[in-house]
Amino acid sequence: MSASHDDSSPTRLHHREEVMGTVVTFDVYNNSGISPEEFLPYLQEAVAVLHHADKVFSTWKSNSPLSQLRRGEITLGEAPPEVAQVLEMCALAKAQTKGWFDPWALAGGVDPTGYVKGWSAQLSLASLVDAPITGAIINAAGDIASFGGLDATTPFRVGITDPLSPPALNCAIELRGAVATSGIYERGDHLVNPFTGEATTRALSASVTGPDLGLCDAWATALAVGGSEILELIEHTDDYEALTINADASRQWTSRFPIIDLETSH
Amino acid sequence: MKRSPIVVVGTMAGLFGVMSFHTTPAKITLGSVATPTSTGSSTSSATSTTASAPTTTSPPKKRTSPPASSRSTSSPTTSAGSASSSTTPATTAPVTTTTAAPATTTTASSNLAQTVTGPSVNYYFGLLSVKVTVAGKKITNVTIASLSDGGNYRSQQIDQASIPILEQEAMQAQNANIQSVSGASYTSAGFQLSLQDALKKVGIK
Repeated sequence: MSASHDDSSPTRLHHREEVMGTVVTFDVYNNSGISPEEFLPYLQEAVAVLHHADKVFSTWKSNSPLSQLRRGEITLGEAPPEVAQVLEMCALAKAQTKGWFDPWALAGGVDPTGYVKGWSAQLSLASLVDAPITGAIINAAGDIASFGGLDATTPFRVGITDPLSPPALNCAIELRGAVATSGIYERGDHLVNPFTGEATTRALSASVTGPDLGLCDAWATALAVGGSEILELIEHTDDYEALTINADASRQWTSRFPIIDLETSH
Repeated sequence: MKRSPIVVVGTMAGLFGVMSFHTTPAKITLGSVATPTSTGSSTSSATSTTASAPTTTSPPKKRTSPPASSRSTSSPTTSAGSASSSTTPATTAPVTTTTAAPATTTTASSNLAQTVTGPSVNYYFGLLSVKVTVAGKKITNVTIASLSDGGNYRSQQIDQASIPILEQEAMQAQNANIQSVSGASYTSAGFQLSLQDALKKVGIK
């Protein structure tokens, strides 16, 4: 493993790790300089957290504790304690999203994958808080956990992909904590909500920001499926803010979503 | 930026054969049926809308962001409701995909087998959607309905989950004001997203 200097700056380190069937990137900053050697021990610990989560929670590996649990070969009590912990968090997320995020939708196999990615990235981030850095960003396939900023007073800015024209950016946000984005592309933009019989407009992209990436992930999934009803719900949820981007390029966001339009930011 | 193509090829070659889809989970039975509370319709109020319709129809390429929308009014969220939604969306997908024809739902007590296709999930180089067949409340089959990348079908054995990340890094490197990029990517979570939506359409989620 190695962490490399960004070409343009001696104050940023970048690392890319293949894990959990995807790629997770690390960016850390210290404007008074940082060496890869100094940071390596912290990075190793952070990366180990992700690989451990993959080992326990992978639904693709048949011998993972979660896979065994799904097949009924072991009980929850026999699984590593973090399995019960994650399922408990999933139950909370399900309740908070009023059932729109639901890892139990398929019986014979609870699948917390959507939560685990964010949860493990958030846990991984905790390994970096004592490192000699002013801020860190862990990006797990488009879902981001972070603390700090470019320096003590400059927060990170994160681009939000334009779902109409990826990978171009639609806008940016001033990052405080985590942000997760879920997306559905669907031709024709009406869908009948089976619970109300009403037509609902669907967003192409749903982004949720807040302190915890696991919950952001759950909210973003719920928002992508549930639409405006969920946006309203998030508006009334402390510490979490959301943005949806629609097929006609219109956008909606909660009142405190920290949006920055890129055209004006240069 | 100029190294990106090489990196992409290398990564795809590296992943080839390592990852595989679960195209046919053996047997899935449906468990607890979630019943999201259906709040009364919040009829839509002013939505913040941008005027320009997107025009790109080609595969991913650089495009300036849509014009800044008017800020949403100080009141809470605007409903994404009916106001502006009847406009036909400009097609942006590189390829036509099947979407679920039956947007209507059947009551849960039906025992007729029905097949529904979930929405196409954009994974940057194309679209993926999941097809689910249910009999009554029982899921009898789950498959990938479509997987496309702009006309060239790729092997389902190739997991392209890393491509969006490489794309995001490229975007990040291009923009000095941005330290990272958040976007939906095709992952197993994307698979689940499409699946849950399909289940919703048949009224069992």
